[in-house]
Amino acid sequence: MSVTDPLTDYDIFDRDYVLDPFPVQEAIRESGCPIAHTERWGGSWLPTRYEDVVALAQEYETFTSRQILVTAPPPQQAEGAYAGVAAPPISSDPPEHHWHRRLILPFFAPQAVAKYEEGTRDLCNQLIDRFVESGEGDAAADYAQQIPVRVIATMLGVPTDLSDTFTGWVRGVLEAGLTDPKIRLESRMKILDYFKEQIEDRKANPRENDLITTLLNSEVDGQKVPEEYVHGVCNLMLVAGVDTTWSAIGASLWHLAQHPEHRRQLRENPDLWPMAIEELLRAYAPVTMARLVDHDVEFQGCPMKAGDRVLMAFPAANRDPRQFENPDEVILDREHNRHVAFGAGIHRCAGSNLARLELRVALQTWLARIPEFELVDPESVTWAGGQVRGPRICKVRF
Amino acid sequence: MCAIAAPEVFGSDDYGNAIVLIEGDLPAELEAKARHAEGNCPERAITIEE
Repeated sequence: MSVTDPLTDYDIFDRDYVLDPFPVQEAIRESGCPIAHTERWGGSWLPTRYEDVVALAQEYETFTSRQILVTAPPPQQAEGAYAGVAAPPISSDPPEHHWHRRLILPFFAPQAVAKYEEGTRDLCNQLIDRFVESGEGDAAADYAQQIPVRVIATMLGVPTDLSDTFTGWVRGVLEAGLTDPKIRLESRMKILDYFKEQIEDRKANPRENDLITTLLNSEVDGQKVPEEYVHGVCNLMLVAGVDTTWSAIGASLWHLAQHPEHRRQLRENPDLWPMAIEELLRAYAPVTMARLVDHDVEFQGCPMKAGDRVLMAFPAANRDPRQFENPDEVILDREHNRHVAFGAGIHRCAGSNLARLELRVALQTWLARIPEFELVDPESVTWAGGQVRGPRICKVRF
Repeated sequence: MCAIAAPEVFGSDDYGNAIVLIEGDLPAELEAKARHAEGNCPERAITIEE
Protein backbone atom coordinates (compact mmCIF):
# COMPACT_ATOMS: atom_id res chain seq x y z
CA MET A 1 0.00 0.00 0.00
CA SER A 2 1.52 3.30 -1.01
CA VAL A 3 2.12 6.14 1.40
CA THR A 4 -0.22 9.11 1.04
CA ASP A 5 0.59 11.06 4.21
CA PRO A 6 4.10 10.61 5.64
CA LEU A 7 3.08 12.42 8.85
CA THR A 8 0.80 9.57 9.89
CA ASP A 9 1.82 6.72 7.63
CA TYR A 10 5.53 6.87 6.75
CA ASP A 11 7.20 3.66 5.62
CA ILE A 12 10.94 3.38 6.21
CA PHE A 13 11.11 0.35 3.90
CA ASP A 14 9.25 2.02 1.03
CA ARG A 15 11.35 1.78 -2.13
CA ASP A 16 11.30 5.52 -2.78
CA TYR A 17 12.12 6.31 0.84
CA VAL A 18 15.11 3.96 0.85
CA LEU A 19 16.33 5.52 -2.39
CA ASP A 20 15.95 9.10 -1.15
CA PRO A 21 14.55 9.63 2.35
CA PHE A 22 15.44 13.31 2.56
CA PRO A 23 12.38 14.90 0.88
CA VAL A 24 10.04 12.91 3.16
CA GLN A 25 12.08 13.77 6.23
CA GLU A 26 12.05 17.43 5.22
CA ALA A 27 8.29 17.41 4.69
CA ILE A 28 7.83 15.98 8.19
CA ARG A 29 10.39 18.32 9.74
CA GLU A 30 8.80 21.45 8.27
CA SER A 31 5.23 20.41 9.02
CA GLY A 32 3.41 21.46 12.18
CA CYS A 33 4.24 18.03 13.54
CA PRO A 34 7.98 17.31 13.16
CA ILE A 35 7.64 13.96 14.93
CA ALA A 36 5.67 11.68 12.64
CA HIS A 37 3.95 8.44 13.58
CA THR A 38 3.18 5.29 11.65
CA GLU A 39 1.35 2.05 12.33
CA ARG A 40 3.49 0.23 9.79
CA TRP A 41 5.97 -2.45 10.83
CA GLY A 42 4.76 -2.61 14.40
CA GLY A 43 4.41 1.15 14.78
CA SER A 44 6.98 3.85 15.50
CA TRP A 45 7.63 7.55 16.00
CA LEU A 46 9.99 9.44 13.70
CA PRO A 47 11.57 12.65 15.05
CA THR A 48 13.21 14.69 12.30
CA ARG A 49 14.59 17.78 14.04
CA TYR A 50 18.15 17.84 15.35
CA GLU A 51 17.13 19.23 18.72
CA ASP A 52 14.53 16.52 19.29
CA VAL A 53 16.80 13.65 18.27
CA VAL A 54 19.55 14.89 20.60
CA ALA A 55 17.07 15.39 23.47
CA LEU A 56 15.71 11.86 23.00
CA ALA A 57 19.24 10.46 23.04
CA GLN A 58 19.97 12.26 26.28
CA GLU A 59 16.82 11.14 28.08
CA TYR A 60 17.95 7.55 28.34
CA GLU A 61 15.76 6.74 31.36
CA THR A 62 12.60 7.40 29.37
CA PHE A 63 13.87 6.29 25.97
CA THR A 64 15.56 3.01 26.77
CA SER A 65 17.81 0.75 24.73
CA ARG A 66 15.95 -2.48 25.51
CA GLN A 67 15.28 -2.79 21.79
CA ILE A 68 17.45 -0.89 19.38
CA LEU A 69 16.59 -2.10 15.91
CA VAL A 70 13.91 -0.33 13.88
CA THR A 71 11.54 -3.31 14.04
CA ALA A 72 10.77 -5.56 17.01
CA PRO A 73 12.78 -8.76 17.52
CA PRO A 74 11.04 -12.06 16.76
CA PRO A 75 9.46 -13.41 19.98
CA GLN A 76 11.57 -16.60 19.71
CA GLN A 77 14.65 -14.46 20.38
CA ALA A 78 13.67 -14.47 24.05
CA GLU A 79 13.82 -18.28 24.17
CA GLY A 80 16.59 -20.87 24.22
CA ALA A 81 20.22 -20.87 25.24
CA TYR A 82 20.99 -17.44 23.80
CA ALA A 83 17.97 -15.62 25.21
CA GLY A 84 20.18 -13.49 27.45
CA VAL A 85 22.70 -12.54 24.77
CA ALA A 86 22.18 -8.95 23.69
CA ALA A 87 24.60 -6.45 22.13
CA PRO A 88 26.21 -4.55 25.02
CA PRO A 89 26.72 -1.68 25.48
CA ILE A 90 24.42 -0.49 22.68
CA SER A 91 21.55 -2.55 24.07
CA SER A 92 22.31 -1.74 27.72
CA ASP A 93 20.76 0.82 30.02
CA PRO A 94 22.35 2.36 33.10
CA PRO A 95 23.67 1.30 35.55
CA GLU A 96 25.11 -1.77 33.70
CA HIS A 97 25.69 0.32 30.60
CA HIS A 98 28.59 2.05 32.35
CA TRP A 99 30.83 -1.00 32.75
CA HIS A 100 29.50 -2.62 29.58
CA ARG A 101 30.88 0.37 27.70
CA ARG A 102 33.98 1.05 29.76
CA LEU A 103 35.43 -2.41 29.15
CA ILE A 104 35.38 -2.07 25.37
CA LEU A 105 36.43 1.58 25.04
CA PRO A 106 40.19 0.93 25.28
CA PHE A 107 40.01 -1.21 22.11
CA PHE A 108 38.57 1.74 20.20
CA ALA A 109 40.62 4.67 21.52
CA PRO A 110 42.36 6.65 18.75
CA GLN A 111 45.80 5.36 19.75
CA ALA A 112 44.46 1.76 19.81
CA VAL A 113 42.83 1.85 16.37
CA ALA A 114 45.84 3.56 14.74
CA LYS A 115 47.52 0.18 14.44
CA TYR A 116 44.89 -0.89 11.86
CA GLU A 117 45.71 1.94 9.46
CA GLU A 118 48.51 0.25 7.55
CA GLY A 119 46.67 -3.05 7.20
CA THR A 120 43.53 -1.24 6.05
CA ARG A 121 45.49 0.65 3.40
CA ASP A 122 47.10 -2.59 2.15
CA LEU A 123 43.67 -4.20 2.03
CA CYS A 124 42.20 -1.28 0.06
CA ASN A 125 45.05 -1.46 -2.44
CA GLN A 126 44.59 -5.21 -2.89
CA LEU A 127 40.88 -4.76 -3.52
CA ILE A 128 41.57 -2.08 -6.14
CA ASP A 129 44.22 -4.32 -7.80
CA ARG A 130 41.45 -6.81 -8.55
CA PHE A 131 39.51 -4.50 -10.87
CA VAL A 132 41.59 -1.43 -11.67
CA GLU A 133 42.87 -2.76 -15.01
CA SER A 134 39.36 -3.34 -16.29
CA GLY A 135 38.43 0.34 -16.12
CA GLU A 136 35.24 -0.53 -14.26
CA GLY A 137 34.32 -1.67 -10.79
CA ASP A 138 31.57 -1.76 -8.21
CA ALA A 139 32.51 0.82 -5.56
CA ALA A 140 29.99 -0.72 -3.15
CA ALA A 141 30.17 -4.49 -3.66
CA ASP A 142 33.80 -4.88 -4.77
CA TYR A 143 35.28 -2.26 -2.49
CA ALA A 144 33.31 -0.65 0.37
CA GLN A 145 31.60 -3.88 1.38
CA GLN A 146 34.91 -5.73 1.56
CA ILE A 147 36.73 -3.40 3.96
CA PRO A 148 35.12 -3.10 7.41
CA VAL A 149 34.26 -6.79 7.70
CA ARG A 150 37.96 -7.68 7.38
CA VAL A 151 39.04 -4.98 9.82
CA ILE A 152 36.49 -6.18 12.38
CA ALA A 153 37.44 -9.84 11.83
CA THR A 154 41.08 -8.90 12.47
CA MET A 155 40.10 -7.06 15.64
CA LEU A 156 38.07 -10.01 16.88
CA GLY A 157 40.84 -12.50 16.02
CA VAL A 158 38.64 -14.52 13.64
CA PRO A 159 39.55 -15.54 10.06
CA THR A 160 39.15 -12.83 7.41
CA ASP A 161 38.55 -15.68 4.90
CA LEU A 162 35.06 -15.90 6.34
CA SER A 163 34.25 -12.31 5.35
CA ASP A 164 31.50 -13.20 2.90
CA THR A 165 29.88 -15.47 5.45
CA PHE A 166 30.01 -12.76 8.13
CA THR A 167 28.62 -10.20 5.69
CA GLY A 168 25.73 -12.53 4.87
CA TRP A 169 24.86 -12.93 8.55
CA VAL A 170 25.03 -9.20 9.23
CA ARG A 171 22.80 -8.43 6.25
CA GLY A 172 20.44 -11.08 7.53
CA VAL A 173 20.03 -9.17 10.78
CA LEU A 174 20.17 -5.57 9.55
CA GLU A 175 18.67 -5.77 6.06
CA ALA A 176 16.38 -8.66 5.06
CA GLY A 177 15.75 -9.65 8.70
CA LEU A 178 14.13 -6.36 9.63
CA THR A 179 11.00 -7.32 7.72
CA ASP A 180 11.47 -11.10 7.84
CA PRO A 181 11.60 -12.50 11.38
CA LYS A 182 12.72 -15.93 10.17
CA ILE A 183 15.82 -14.58 8.43
CA ARG A 184 16.57 -12.33 11.39
CA LEU A 185 16.40 -15.17 13.88
CA GLU A 186 18.43 -17.56 11.70
CA SER A 187 21.14 -14.97 11.11
CA ARG A 188 21.31 -14.12 14.80
CA MET A 189 21.65 -17.81 15.69
CA LYS A 190 24.46 -18.27 13.17
CA ILE A 191 26.36 -15.30 14.61
CA LEU A 192 25.85 -16.48 18.19
CA ASP A 193 26.73 -20.12 17.42
CA TYR A 194 29.92 -18.97 15.75
CA PHE A 195 31.02 -16.75 18.61
CA LYS A 196 30.05 -19.37 21.19
CA GLU A 197 32.61 -21.62 19.49
CA GLN A 198 35.17 -18.82 19.49
CA ILE A 199 34.64 -18.21 23.20
CA GLU A 200 35.02 -21.94 23.99
CA ASP A 201 38.22 -21.94 21.92
CA ARG A 202 39.66 -18.96 23.83
CA LYS A 203 38.78 -20.57 27.16
CA ALA A 204 40.68 -23.72 26.14
CA ASN A 205 43.49 -21.85 24.37
CA PRO A 206 43.85 -18.30 25.67
CA ARG A 207 45.64 -15.98 23.23
CA GLU A 208 47.95 -13.02 23.77
CA ASN A 209 46.70 -9.58 22.71
CA ASP A 210 43.32 -11.00 21.84
CA LEU A 211 40.11 -9.09 22.33
CA ILE A 212 37.93 -12.08 23.21
CA THR A 213 40.52 -13.53 25.65
CA THR A 214 41.02 -10.12 27.27
CA LEU A 215 37.28 -9.62 27.73
CA LEU A 216 36.80 -13.14 29.14
CA ASN A 217 39.47 -12.38 31.76
CA SER A 218 38.06 -8.96 32.65
CA GLU A 219 36.74 -8.31 36.11
CA VAL A 220 34.21 -5.84 37.42
CA ASP A 221 34.06 -5.28 41.18
CA GLY A 222 36.33 -8.29 41.74
CA GLN A 223 34.09 -10.64 39.72
CA LYS A 224 34.80 -12.09 36.31
CA VAL A 225 32.39 -10.67 33.77
CA PRO A 226 29.58 -13.00 32.66
CA GLU A 227 30.30 -14.96 29.49
CA GLU A 228 27.02 -13.69 28.06
CA TYR A 229 28.48 -10.19 28.14
CA VAL A 230 31.50 -11.22 26.05
CA HIS A 231 29.23 -13.15 23.70
CA GLY A 232 27.08 -10.03 23.30
CA VAL A 233 30.07 -7.78 22.61
CA CYS A 234 31.20 -10.12 19.80
CA ASN A 235 27.67 -9.98 18.40
CA LEU A 236 27.67 -6.18 18.56
CA MET A 237 31.09 -5.76 16.99
CA LEU A 238 30.15 -7.84 13.99
CA VAL A 239 26.64 -6.47 13.53
CA ALA A 240 27.49 -2.81 14.24
CA GLY A 241 30.95 -2.70 12.71
CA VAL A 242 30.31 -3.97 9.21
CA ASP A 243 27.16 -2.69 7.47
CA THR A 244 27.52 0.78 8.97
CA THR A 245 31.06 1.71 7.91
CA TRP A 246 30.67 -0.03 4.57
CA SER A 247 27.59 2.11 3.92
CA ALA A 248 29.44 5.30 4.77
CA ILE A 249 32.34 4.40 2.48
CA GLY A 250 29.97 3.43 -0.34
CA ALA A 251 27.81 6.55 -0.04
CA SER A 252 30.90 8.76 0.01
CA LEU A 253 32.25 7.15 -3.17
CA TRP A 254 28.82 7.47 -4.78
CA HIS A 255 28.96 11.18 -3.94
CA LEU A 256 32.54 11.65 -5.15
CA ALA A 257 31.73 9.84 -8.42
CA GLN A 258 29.27 12.63 -9.17
CA HIS A 259 31.32 15.57 -7.89
CA PRO A 260 34.60 16.12 -9.75
CA GLU A 261 34.96 19.46 -7.97
CA HIS A 262 35.10 17.69 -4.62
CA ARG A 263 37.66 15.18 -5.87
CA ARG A 264 39.77 18.10 -7.07
CA GLN A 265 39.32 19.96 -3.79
CA LEU A 266 40.63 16.96 -1.84
CA ARG A 267 43.51 16.43 -4.24
CA GLU A 268 44.62 20.06 -4.07
CA ASN A 269 44.13 20.44 -0.34
CA PRO A 270 44.87 17.23 1.59
CA ASP A 271 44.59 19.13 4.89
CA LEU A 272 40.88 19.14 4.22
CA TRP A 273 40.50 15.40 4.82
CA PRO A 274 39.46 15.46 8.50
CA MET A 275 36.73 18.05 7.84
CA ALA A 276 35.65 16.35 4.63
CA ILE A 277 35.20 13.04 6.45
CA GLU A 278 32.93 14.73 9.02
CA GLU A 279 30.91 16.39 6.27
CA LEU A 280 30.42 13.15 4.36
CA LEU A 281 29.37 11.50 7.63
CA ARG A 282 26.88 14.30 8.22
CA ALA A 283 25.36 14.23 4.76
CA TYR A 284 25.29 10.44 4.40
CA ALA A 285 24.91 9.29 8.01
CA PRO A 286 24.01 5.65 7.50
CA VAL A 287 22.52 4.65 10.84
CA THR A 288 19.08 4.97 12.41
CA MET A 289 18.82 3.39 15.86
CA ALA A 290 15.67 2.88 17.91
CA ARG A 291 14.61 3.44 21.51
CA LEU A 292 11.79 1.85 23.47
CA VAL A 293 9.61 4.16 25.56
CA ASP A 294 9.77 3.15 29.24
CA HIS A 295 6.60 4.81 30.50
CA ASP A 296 3.78 6.90 29.05
CA VAL A 297 5.16 10.32 28.34
CA GLU A 298 4.35 13.39 26.30
CA PHE A 299 7.35 14.39 24.24
CA GLN A 300 7.03 17.61 22.20
CA GLY A 301 3.27 17.21 22.27
CA CYS A 302 3.35 13.59 21.14
CA PRO A 303 1.55 11.12 23.43
CA MET A 304 4.12 8.32 23.58
CA LYS A 305 3.10 5.13 25.33
CA ALA A 306 5.21 2.63 27.26
CA GLY A 307 6.59 0.13 24.75
CA ASP A 308 6.39 2.50 21.76
CA ARG A 309 9.35 2.51 19.43
CA VAL A 310 11.10 5.79 18.59
CA LEU A 311 13.39 5.91 15.58
CA MET A 312 16.49 7.97 16.18
CA ALA A 313 16.70 9.40 12.69
CA PHE A 314 20.28 10.68 12.81
CA PRO A 315 20.31 11.20 9.03
CA ALA A 316 17.26 13.49 9.34
CA ALA A 317 18.78 15.40 12.28
CA ASN A 318 21.93 15.95 10.22
CA ARG A 319 19.91 17.75 7.54
CA ASP A 320 17.97 20.09 9.84
CA PRO A 321 18.42 23.66 8.55
CA ARG A 322 18.01 24.93 12.15
CA GLN A 323 21.37 23.33 12.90
CA PHE A 324 23.16 23.28 9.53
CA GLU A 325 23.22 25.99 6.85
CA ASN A 326 22.34 24.61 3.42
CA PRO A 327 21.97 21.15 4.90
CA ASP A 328 21.42 19.34 1.60
CA GLU A 329 24.64 20.68 0.18
CA VAL A 330 27.91 18.84 0.79
CA ILE A 331 30.41 21.51 1.86
CA LEU A 332 33.68 19.69 2.48
CA ASP A 333 35.12 22.53 4.57
CA ARG A 334 31.93 23.15 6.54
CA GLU A 335 33.01 25.13 9.57
CA HIS A 336 30.36 24.20 12.15
CA ASN A 337 29.43 20.58 12.02
CA ARG A 338 28.08 19.05 15.22
CA HIS A 339 26.65 16.13 13.28
CA VAL A 340 25.12 13.13 15.00
CA ALA A 341 26.08 10.40 12.52
CA PHE A 342 27.50 8.52 15.54
CA GLY A 343 24.53 9.31 17.75
CA ALA A 344 24.72 11.41 20.91
CA GLY A 345 24.89 10.97 24.66
CA ILE A 346 25.80 7.78 26.49
CA HIS A 347 25.28 5.55 23.44
CA ARG A 348 27.44 7.61 21.08
CA CYS A 349 29.14 5.08 18.80
CA ALA A 350 32.03 3.41 20.64
CA GLY A 351 33.72 2.56 17.34
CA SER A 352 33.68 6.05 15.84
CA ASN A 353 37.48 6.40 15.81
CA LEU A 354 37.82 3.14 13.92
CA ALA A 355 35.01 4.06 11.51
CA ARG A 356 36.62 7.44 10.78
CA LEU A 357 39.96 5.76 10.15
CA GLU A 358 38.44 3.19 7.78
CA LEU A 359 36.44 5.83 5.92
CA ARG A 360 39.45 8.13 5.50
CA VAL A 361 41.86 5.37 4.43
CA ALA A 362 39.31 3.83 2.04
CA LEU A 363 38.60 7.16 0.33
CA GLN A 364 42.22 8.35 0.26
CA THR A 365 43.42 5.07 -1.22
CA TRP A 366 40.65 5.05 -3.82
CA LEU A 367 41.34 8.64 -4.92
CA ALA A 368 45.09 8.02 -5.06
CA ARG A 369 44.61 5.05 -7.37
CA ILE A 370 41.47 6.17 -9.22
CA PRO A 371 41.50 9.97 -9.24
CA GLU A 372 38.79 10.32 -11.89
CA PHE A 373 35.67 8.14 -12.04
CA GLU A 374 31.94 8.36 -12.69
CA LEU A 375 28.80 6.32 -12.22
CA VAL A 376 28.18 3.88 -15.06
CA ASP A 377 24.45 4.51 -14.75
CA PRO A 378 22.93 6.47 -11.86
CA GLU A 379 19.66 4.53 -12.24
CA SER A 380 21.36 1.19 -11.64
CA VAL A 381 22.66 2.10 -8.17
CA THR A 382 20.77 0.14 -5.51
CA TRP A 383 20.42 1.14 -1.86
CA ALA A 384 19.66 -0.62 1.40
CA GLY A 385 17.82 1.31 4.07
CA GLY A 386 15.71 1.12 7.19
CA GLN A 387 18.37 0.60 9.85
CA VAL A 388 21.49 1.31 7.81
CA ARG A 389 21.37 3.26 4.57
CA GLY A 390 23.99 2.91 1.87
CA PRO A 391 24.55 1.79 -1.70
CA ARG A 392 24.75 -1.96 -2.33
CA ILE A 393 25.49 -1.90 -6.07
CA CYS A 394 27.33 1.16 -7.35
CA LYS A 395 29.11 0.55 -10.65
CA VAL A 396 31.67 3.12 -11.68
CA ARG A 397 33.99 3.49 -14.67
CA PHE A 398 37.32 5.24 -14.87
CA MET B 1 36.42 15.00 17.31
CA CYS B 2 38.25 17.77 19.21
CA ALA B 3 41.49 15.81 18.95
CA ILE B 4 41.06 15.85 15.17
CA ALA B 5 40.17 19.55 15.04
CA ALA B 6 42.91 20.72 17.41
CA PRO B 7 45.43 17.93 18.10
CA GLU B 8 47.79 20.35 19.87
CA VAL B 9 45.08 21.18 22.41
CA PHE B 10 43.10 17.98 22.85
CA GLY B 11 44.07 14.33 23.11
CA SER B 12 42.47 11.20 24.43
CA ASP B 13 43.04 8.92 27.38
CA ASP B 14 43.23 5.11 27.24
CA TYR B 15 39.45 4.97 27.00
CA GLY B 16 39.28 7.39 24.11
CA ASN B 17 37.79 10.09 26.33
CA ALA B 18 38.88 13.59 25.42
CA ILE B 19 41.46 15.30 27.59
CA VAL B 20 43.01 18.77 27.49
CA LEU B 21 46.73 18.61 26.80
CA ILE B 22 47.58 22.21 27.62
CA GLU B 23 47.94 23.50 31.16
CA GLY B 24 46.92 27.06 31.91
CA ASP B 25 46.20 29.61 29.22
CA LEU B 26 45.69 28.72 25.62
CA PRO B 27 48.55 30.02 23.42
CA ALA B 28 47.24 32.66 21.01
CA GLU B 29 48.38 30.73 17.94
CA LEU B 30 46.16 27.78 18.90
CA GLU B 31 43.04 29.81 19.58
CA ALA B 32 41.57 29.43 16.10
CA LYS B 33 41.96 25.65 16.19
CA ALA B 34 40.55 25.44 19.70
CA ARG B 35 37.55 27.55 18.65
CA HIS B 36 37.02 25.21 15.74
CA ALA B 37 37.00 22.27 18.15
CA GLU B 38 34.57 24.13 20.41
CA GLY B 39 32.22 24.80 17.49
CA ASN B 40 32.28 21.20 16.35
CA CYS B 41 32.06 19.27 19.62
CA PRO B 42 28.92 17.18 19.13
CA GLU B 43 28.33 17.00 22.88
CA ARG B 44 28.88 20.74 23.43
CA ALA B 45 31.41 19.76 26.07
CA ILE B 46 34.01 22.43 25.26
CA THR B 47 33.93 25.98 26.58
CA ILE B 48 36.79 28.39 26.06
CA GLU B 49 36.89 30.93 28.88
CA GLU B 50 38.24 34.40 28.25
